Amino acid sequence: MSDRALVEHLADGQVHSGERLACALGVSRAAVWKGIERLRARGIEILAEPRRGYRLPAAVELLEESRLTRAIAPERRARLRGIEVLFDVDSTNDRLLNREPPPPDQALLCCCELQRAGRGRRGRRWFAPFGQGIAMSIGWQFRAMPRDLPALGLAIGTAIARALTRVGARGIRLKWPNDVCFEDRKLGGVLIDLRAEAAGPVHVVIGVGLNLALSASARSQIEATGVRAAAIADACPATPSRNEVAGRVIDEVLAVVADYERSGFTPHRADWSSLDAFANRRARVSLGVESVHGIARGIDAEGALQLEVDGAMRKFLSGDLSLRLEDGVD
Amino acid sequence: MDIRKVKKLIELLEESGISELEISEGEESVRISRHPRGAFTFASPAIAAAPPAPLPVATVAIGSAAAPSAAERKALANERTVTSPMVGTYYSAPSPDAKPFVEIGDEVRVGQTLCIIEAMKMMNQIESDKAGKVAAILAKNGDPVEFGQPLFVIE
Repeated sequence: MSDRALVEHLADGQVHSGERLACALGVSRAAVWKGIERLRARGIEILAEPRRGYRLPAAVELLEESRLTRAIAPERRARLRGIEVLFDVDSTNDRLLNREPPPPDQALLCCCELQRAGRGRRGRRWFAPFGQGIAMSIGWQFRAMPRDLPALGLAIGTAIARALTRVGARGIRLKWPNDVCFEDRKLGGVLIDLRAEAAGPVHVVIGVGLNLALSASARSQIEATGVRAAAIADACPATPSRNEVAGRVIDEVLAVVADYERSGFTPHRADWSSLDAFANRRARVSLGVESVHGIARGIDAEGALQLEVDGAMRKFLSGDLSLRLEDGVD
Repeated sequence: MDIRKVKKLIELLEESGISELEISEGEESVRISRHPRGAFTFASPAIAAAPPAPLPVATVAIGSAAAPSAAERKALANERTVTSPMVGTYYSAPSPDAKPFVEIGDEVRVGQTLCIIEAMKMMNQIESDKAGKVAAILAKNGDPVEFGQPLFVIE
């Protein structure tokens, strides 16, 4: 009995007795109990109701290749050379980064239900409660270093915003460099790993983490780390299908990467600016222990953040930056 | 200024996270920088805000032991200098509490990750294009680096 098989039986959110699970899975009740403990050890919350059985706190739509790819346009789906839908993995980005890159113009996709060591920026953990988010990576290879490569993450941000709008979300904004926000709360982010040879091909792995719908306990767990959290469901009239959201995001991301080597960041700049959560707001940029205060003035042609400080424009392309609203709102 | 005092200051700088230090004592002033002067144009306020030296300044290249300047090292044969392919922040380890990818004296193979350069959440894994021994590490964890700035010497 695989852990995934056990989760599939529990995914509907209904109560399942140990006996019925054992029968359905063809194992002993003791094996079911061990399986439940294993899932709990992996951070999946499973409730036990005395004399009735086990259930998840809420129904979970597991990722399925066939449902996910239905949301991808055929010409983009044709670019997907490999699709992996895993139950658990250390990090979807690391998995693709350690594999051979796909040939140019083709993509590899890896998504999972549980990421044991999902990475946020600078090794910070990306916390994703089971079934309440989407964690996936897309591998791609450029023939040569595209100009504006550092701004690729910003272009991916516009792709995600378009995808979320297509599934019914309203009010999605982007925070420089790579956060996806709703009402000044973070609902997702992008992290890109890159391997390049001098004057050679460039292997990128684009990691996307999104909160789909957060339970109250998951929300407070995330907020305990100092991040004001939001979920896609907060921005939608109803929680959209997890497979459809994942598929739409992949669709839009593939459209961006397929054109990026030729067009660079230029076609995405206006989109990004129209989604800029911080435009003309008082903001603070932290560089290690130091902070720079000013008014956020959008991005330049290379995607660098522009901050007006005492009447002069300062640009930030890198460094350990974090952008905070002056009024104390993240 | 006493050479022992200068040595002490270099040690102080090495232990800290700061990249440049300037001390004035009466008529004397010393500025110690981790980076070759002039070659460093990253728009970090920490650097940009460094005041112009009001007095004759003795520049001490901190590199003599730990981080030789690129110019010095390039003269040596049988060595490869690995440079940064982009503007960004240098990270010596995959995460803040992890061990560095490489340390001085380590043997590395072709394709082995030496460090990460980050710009706008893009993590560029810098690999060695030569097998050999890490002879020098020219940047420090968290340093801003420029395009083309030397990072490692592999011999």
